[in-house]
Amino acid sequence: MRPLPRFRVHRPESLEEALELLATLEKAKPIAGGTDLIPLMREVKVDVKHLIDLSRIEELNFIREEGGYIRIGATTTLSDLVESELIASKAPALWEAAASMGSPQIRNRGTIGGNLCNASPAADLGPPLLALEAEAEIRSLDESRCIPIGEVFAGPKVNSLAEDELLTEVRFKTPPQGAGSAFEKIGRRKAVTLALVNAAAYIEVEDKTCRVARLALGAVADRPMRLGEAEEMLRGKELSEELIEEVSALCSKLVRPIDDIRASAWYRREMSRVLSRRVLLKAWRRCKA
Amino acid sequence: MEAKEVFERFSERESFLVIGRSIRRFDALDKALGRAKFTADYVERDALVVKVVRSSLPHALIKSINIDEALKIPGVVAVLTARDIPGENQIGYALPDQPLLNDVKVHYVGDPIALVCAENEEAAFKGVEAVEVEYEELQAVYTIDEALSEDAPRIHGGEDNIAVTTRVRKGDIEEGFSKAEAIVEDIYETPYQEHMYIEPEAAYAIPEGHNKVTVIGTMQSPFLVREKIAGILGWSLNQVRVIQALTGGAFGGKDDMGPLVCAKAALAAVKLRRPAALIFDRDESAAYSVKRYPARIRYRSGADAEGRMTAAEVDITVDCGAYANRAPFWLWRMTAHAAGPYEVEAVHVDGKAVYTNKVFGGSFRGFGDVAMHFAVESQMDMLAEKLGLDPLEFRLKNVLRPGSRTTTNQLLDHSVGMEECLRGVAEASDWWNRRRRVKRTEGKLRGLGVACAHHGISTSRGAPDWSAASLILNEDGTFTYRTGICELGQGSQFGHAKIVAEILGAPLESIRVEGPDTDSTPNARPTHGSRGLMLGGSAAADAALRLRSRMVKVAAEMLGCDEGDVELRDGRAYDRRRPENSVSFRELAREMYIRGVSPAAYGFYAPPRRYFDPETGLGVAYPVYTFAATVAEVEVDPETGEVKVVEVWPSMDVGRAIDPLLIEGQIHGAIAQGLGFALTENLIVEEGRVLNPNFKDYVIPSSMDMPRVSNVIIVEKPYRHSAFGAKGVGEPAIISIVSAIANAVYHATGIRFRTLPITAERLYRALRGEKP
Repeated sequence: MRPLPRFRVHRPESLEEALELLATLEKAKPIAGGTDLIPLMREVKVDVKHLIDLSRIEELNFIREEGGYIRIGATTTLSDLVESELIASKAPALWEAAASMGSPQIRNRGTIGGNLCNASPAADLGPPLLALEAEAEIRSLDESRCIPIGEVFAGPKVNSLAEDELLTEVRFKTPPQGAGSAFEKIGRRKAVTLALVNAAAYIEVEDKTCRVARLALGAVADRPMRLGEAEEMLRGKELSEELIEEVSALCSKLVRPIDDIRASAWYRREMSRVLSRRVLLKAWRRCKA
Repeated sequence: MEAKEVFERFSERESFLVIGRSIRRFDALDKALGRAKFTADYVERDALVVKVVRSSLPHALIKSINIDEALKIPGVVAVLTARDIPGENQIGYALPDQPLLNDVKVHYVGDPIALVCAENEEAAFKGVEAVEVEYEELQAVYTIDEALSEDAPRIHGGEDNIAVTTRVRKGDIEEGFSKAEAIVEDIYETPYQEHMYIEPEAAYAIPEGHNKVTVIGTMQSPFLVREKIAGILGWSLNQVRVIQALTGGAFGGKDDMGPLVCAKAALAAVKLRRPAALIFDRDESAAYSVKRYPARIRYRSGADAEGRMTAAEVDITVDCGAYANRAPFWLWRMTAHAAGPYEVEAVHVDGKAVYTNKVFGGSFRGFGDVAMHFAVESQMDMLAEKLGLDPLEFRLKNVLRPGSRTTTNQLLDHSVGMEECLRGVAEASDWWNRRRRVKRTEGKLRGLGVACAHHGISTSRGAPDWSAASLILNEDGTFTYRTGICELGQGSQFGHAKIVAEILGAPLESIRVEGPDTDSTPNARPTHGSRGLMLGGSAAADAALRLRSRMVKVAAEMLGCDEGDVELRDGRAYDRRRPENSVSFRELAREMYIRGVSPAAYGFYAPPRRYFDPETGLGVAYPVYTFAATVAEVEVDPETGEVKVVEVWPSMDVGRAIDPLLIEGQIHGAIAQGLGFALTENLIVEEGRVLNPNFKDYVIPSSMDMPRVSNVIIVEKPYRHSAFGAKGVGEPAIISIVSAIANAVYHATGIRFRTLPITAERLYRALRGEKP
């Protein structure tokens, strides 16, 4: 097998130490599960001299509800998400996305921070976190900033973080009672599959009126995207299957997919319509329940 | 000893000791625990790393190969090219069209040109990049039609790009069609399929002194590997020792790849006088190793008003890719099975295999019969529909039965369980009711499809086939059994052990199997053609019978009874009349050694001689056929085009089940592999380049995609000329599942696909009116 390029591994015990290493070392990259980074290194698609292993930093590994927010540490694994009662009950879209990813082995290693920072247009956690209006906490030695989750993605496989920055936490407002969310994806097999299209919706309904509607799609543009125009058509309206059908039809026009060896842009547009409808209906049904 | 005798003496037993029982394989635990050793596990740290420099162009003349820069890289020890080959630079299987290392011309993207031998992988990779090859590019040929056009460049010289042709002329075709009430004609195309065995190609070669080499490798034909290595080195056969390591999946591909990979490692080891290992990367394996041959079949067939087949006219074109490799054998198999497992009076078949500048095809489970049956079984469904008959009923009217004649006019006098297989799956799936019942559920479309299969065991065209094995009774009463049949995951060796145990009355755990080592195991010929158990196991039976007669003779004298009264059971010899009078195999063994009675036996087996006329394509094409039928139920999501295989009902006439668990294992695995071929596996080759040589984008099914598999219906119609009547199982298992799925998709959607795979996008487009 093509050997990995030579690199050094650093195993900081604290966030402070990790940030210090990131700030001082040349060509350093943080590594959590490594499920995306190691293959990239093997294919010599990234130039890395130092790997900063985050797995020993306990302060990055948590899921908790605090101050009206659900907060998830960056090195929380996909399996941790799947096993979390809190995520399953409050954010089923995120739970479904995590459960749909890779295989048990991949889910045991892959992390929420890694999935976002890898910045794949098809990242399965992208749409649900967009739909939940999540934010990412970004830290460097001297600075801490909080950005909307969509801004982590800067283009296909490119994130917006500076070399010395680390994504430390993802958080979103705890969905209120009666809110519903859902995730769906189309792959080419039932597991260990890349999404041809993925989608998530979040809905709040009050007195039959849709108060909040958020819809996000992945693998249909250079990064996961919110469908603002579609959301507007739903907001303040009484939801119906017909309305959702109409909105979904619009979605297939709003997306900007490409042709590749996995699917044609046309099929992705069509599936954007199908998945938009499915996640909106499912999220709405969950509101009612 | 005649195998027939084995059959007669042992097959009529009222109950067997181990035959027919599901017993845990003796290699199961080590494999489950990760303790089994595969080729790469044998490689020592100081071995040279060998990497292949490959052609970057599909078709070009080589003007020069410059290795100077590569040799300057620290760690690169040598770069070997064609001029370093001491023997003949030729490794073609059926035709001498394939150099081991090319120095004149390249024929596909990936054609080997040189071997970089280095101290480590890093240097080897750098070395490969540093070798400069200057080409004069030639026009490349990518499709069958391009290859056959008059002005196409000739890939291997000659008058055209046709590597081989076949034909069958049976009966009066005009008369056959004149009797037909319904005639259906169509063109079917099947694509490449990549094996994606979990273990990629690997070989480790160790020089032994100045004139011998040992090669450990992943393969299916150790004696073929030995022959090819000897040819490359210009050595005699006994200077080459080939050991087959446990092989992590092969599916036919390693029959072809074994010699190519082992010969390269051996060349490096011998030239540089150091151990050398060549281990493929996944992308290398997926892009450049052999694939299932793509094929195009034009099929016209007819049936009369009573629903009986009257004629079939078949035109087959196989796309060889860059080299002929197994194409003549592949094509003959398709040709000889062209009418399917049905009796058709008049059959005309014409076949040809053509060269193109793409990765070359080769052996793959089912060997042409997957494609052939896809065409046959689609035709059968369409004919049934045209005649207003149920597709299963229509098949029942036409299936081969004892007394029937095949495509090549071969008379089948016994061991023909096609009808029982078909009736078995019809009953198990409740075909007639279920077929009527299945329809829309929650917006999904359901459909039920059926398909039959037959597959000749061993080699085509009546080519002689035989097998050998040896058996030693050790001084402590245990046995050492040696076979040249490879363990590829399928468990043939365990089947052999059971045959030996049954005949000798020996506990299974007292038999140790030694796998292929060309210095010590007899030549059992290749582990392909589903022959490992039938041919190899019959040689095992012959060895066991020979040893048995000596054991019985000595035991009778020790027990003071007639030979006819000696019974071997549980590792002891008993006097049947006085069961308290017995000796253990340990005592018996010692006595045999003391008396000078040979404790070792060599077993040899050959099926009855056959006659086949390649001019007319008529005669006995195979010693015997395995038959299978499958019913599959699918659920189509019309909103996405996704097909879910819900449940599968499989059956097979295996002759005799040596171990039902082994059979189930083969059938479950084949369902997964067939499901992939039918629905998702799609090797994308553009201008000769494979664009998806990885698990990410070459989509084989996951365990989550597996359907419910109903109990395997095992039909036993023993074959008179093999041990206990067993027939091969591995390949027949994959043939009917593919067509059953395609036919079920048709039942669900009304859309008939003539090309595979039926991907979600293709089906979605077809549901919206695009031509499938």
